[in-house]
Amino acid sequence: MSFKMLSLKSTALFSAALLSIGALGAISPAQAVVDCTNATADTDTCTVLTINTFGDVIEPALVSDYKRLHPEIKLSIKKSDLDALNGTGLYTQCAAGGAGSPDIAAVEISYSGFWRSYPQCFIDMRTLHTTVGNKTANDIKKDYLAWRWDQGVGYNDNVIGVPTDVGGLEVAYRWDLFKAKGLPYKRDDVSKAWSTWPKFIEFGKKYMAKVSPADKKKNVGFMDNAATIYAAIMNQGTMKYYKNNGTDAGQLVYKTNPQVKLAFNTTIDAAKAGIGTRIGQFSSDWNVGMSKGTFAVMLSPAWMMDYIKGQAPTTNGKWDIADIPGGGGNQGGSQLTMPIKKAGMPNHKQQAWDFITWYLAPDQQLKVFQIYGLFPSTPSLYKDSDLVGFKDPFFNKAPTGAIYADGVKKLKPIFEGKLQRCIDMAMGSALSLVINGKEKVSTKAFAKGLSDADKCK
Amino acid sequence: MSQTAVSRKTNKPASPWKPAKPPKKLNNPGAVLSLNGKWGYLFTAPFFVMFLIFGLAPIIYSVYIAFFNWDALGTQEFIGIQNFVELVADDRFWNALMNTIDIWLLSTIPMLILSIGLAAILHNPNLRGSTFWRTILLVPNITSVLAIAIVFGQLFGRDFGMVNLVIGALGFEHIDFIQGTTSSHVAIATMIVWRWTGYNALIFLAAMLAIPGELYESASLDGANKWKQFRYVTLPSLRNTITFVLIVGTIGGLQVFAEPLILGGSYNGGDSGQFSTLTLFLFDQAFVAYKWGYAAAVGIMITVIVAIVSFINFVITRRLAGDGK
Repeated sequence: MSFKMLSLKSTALFSAALLSIGALGAISPAQAVVDCTNATADTDTCTVLTINTFGDVIEPALVSDYKRLHPEIKLSIKKSDLDALNGTGLYTQCAAGGAGSPDIAAVEISYSGFWRSYPQCFIDMRTLHTTVGNKTANDIKKDYLAWRWDQGVGYNDNVIGVPTDVGGLEVAYRWDLFKAKGLPYKRDDVSKAWSTWPKFIEFGKKYMAKVSPADKKKNVGFMDNAATIYAAIMNQGTMKYYKNNGTDAGQLVYKTNPQVKLAFNTTIDAAKAGIGTRIGQFSSDWNVGMSKGTFAVMLSPAWMMDYIKGQAPTTNGKWDIADIPGGGGNQGGSQLTMPIKKAGMPNHKQQAWDFITWYLAPDQQLKVFQIYGLFPSTPSLYKDSDLVGFKDPFFNKAPTGAIYADGVKKLKPIFEGKLQRCIDMAMGSALSLVINGKEKVSTKAFAKGLSDADKCK
Repeated sequence: MSQTAVSRKTNKPASPWKPAKPPKKLNNPGAVLSLNGKWGYLFTAPFFVMFLIFGLAPIIYSVYIAFFNWDALGTQEFIGIQNFVELVADDRFWNALMNTIDIWLLSTIPMLILSIGLAAILHNPNLRGSTFWRTILLVPNITSVLAIAIVFGQLFGRDFGMVNLVIGALGFEHIDFIQGTTSSHVAIATMIVWRWTGYNALIFLAAMLAIPGELYESASLDGANKWKQFRYVTLPSLRNTITFVLIVGTIGGLQVFAEPLILGGSYNGGDSGQFSTLTLFLFDQAFVAYKWGYAAAVGIMITVIVAIVSFINFVITRRLAGDGK
């Protein structure tokens, strides 16, 4: 039968029938043919959710899962450099009233102290409700480590972000190199031997005493960069540059807080003991040195383990993980935030909140840990046998799940403040002056660090 | 004949817009004339519109905010010239300025010598495949700065960088290029030299080709050898070109940004600011300290410094390449 033979009436009937089949299809559960893979803008069937991120915050395996669950949503993910994303991007977007903002932006914790002081740049997640379960930010708060959750709470109590993974901070070391130099090399013995930072430095000196002069000439050392000790010690205190109790919240105390001086001086002690190779982290020398045994120790967040595996595959089984001196630590981790958007831009608050709460829920965090090794920020998993029982063959079958869980539970919330990042940079630059021998007197460098920190105000 | 023809047609005396002798082939020269007169503005308008939006407006805006304590997300407070007072007393600013001048000297002088030398080689009429060589010279210039910085950053690595592998093979101690002050400047200057030498060589080549051959002929008749010809004929004739290259190089050199940024991986210009440059310091103040007013003040200072240095350049090159007496 051809169309020519149909009367006008029957054509209308035919079209109506087609339409109703279409309408039925839309509500039928069997309909899974929506394909938004190539969608670039919102259509009747597709929603394009824009996510600005860096590094490995949004993992591909989970993105595929979400696509299966929600074929009607296209996740448009843009990766960029961390500073470009958190430093310049968010800042200029917010200054422009949310023009060009994505639906979701990852904010790394080195920037969280800053962004928490500008909660007006983000949507308050307490006002959002998930489609399934009607959950607000307050309902899911209990699922996360308290100090990690706080890193996404504005100083006016708005909830501006939900925690992704937690870095934690332990020590990755080459047990084979320790053994060759006659030092303790089993993880429990090592943890005991360097239970405090001064003991850690002593341990490093013993290691250096066994390094041959030829190797020393090649800059072989005990740890990659002694400067990393500073941040580790700062995180083990009760406060950093701001006082964080009661009504004094936000008062700058970096000049009087003994923790700052302790962290500074201990780092310099380590550097002067010559235990660091002074290689900058993430430089090409660092990447190569990791596989060549240029250094035997690095302070390592959980996400770093995956980095080591990628950079130094030939050292498989030669690494192990010991407790960090002083107990507990953290480096890295992000929050997923929802920046404000200018009126008239596509608005996907509901879909964004649904995605964030799904992606960062314990089940998904466990999956990320299993596939990528990023450590979950949801303590309910710390009792899960999949996590606690996990042994990593690359790290000499170390129970990495249990080790990092112990470490991150020890940390307490620390008030960070708007200027934290700027002050951190100033102190880091002062440390580097001493570590690289440009300033011999450490008290002078400390004073320069403090005066440069003053300029952050 | 055409002069009178046009005058009669338009009943006007010849204006400066009108060519004295319109080309014969144009059957309606009047259309071309009006094109020059009025339409010219329209055709140049895109540049000026873009310049007003992306050039002049930001300049005026940054001059304005330089007198404020400007928090783009918070409050803005007028503080007069306090930003400039603080800037003059800020050792980080002077450090950045000295680094910038150092990098500029380390890059400009070798670049000038190398590019004039290269141009002289290309100028040699006996050179085979000259078009090929001229094209090759431009390749570094069209390579992305980021790619250059990443590659050179690896070349200058302390332990496994290729430069240090050579230094080590020769029996010397490895140099920590990135941590050292002068050494990091050398590394950055190398990138700049690598990138701009070929480009400037082509400019010098063009200038050399414009020198009349009679000058060389009479010089050789006077018994001048090749070197003397170069010294007393070529160099003085290049005086204006050298001034041009120097001034353009100064403007670029005082704004060096991507190379130190990628080499250090952050806006502080090395762990202790050993290769922090003026523009890097500006960016650091704008997007690490978020002091836009202060950053704008840095920007104005950069403009003033570029103007002063360009003027000095101009005077010196006039003297140096004088009349070749």
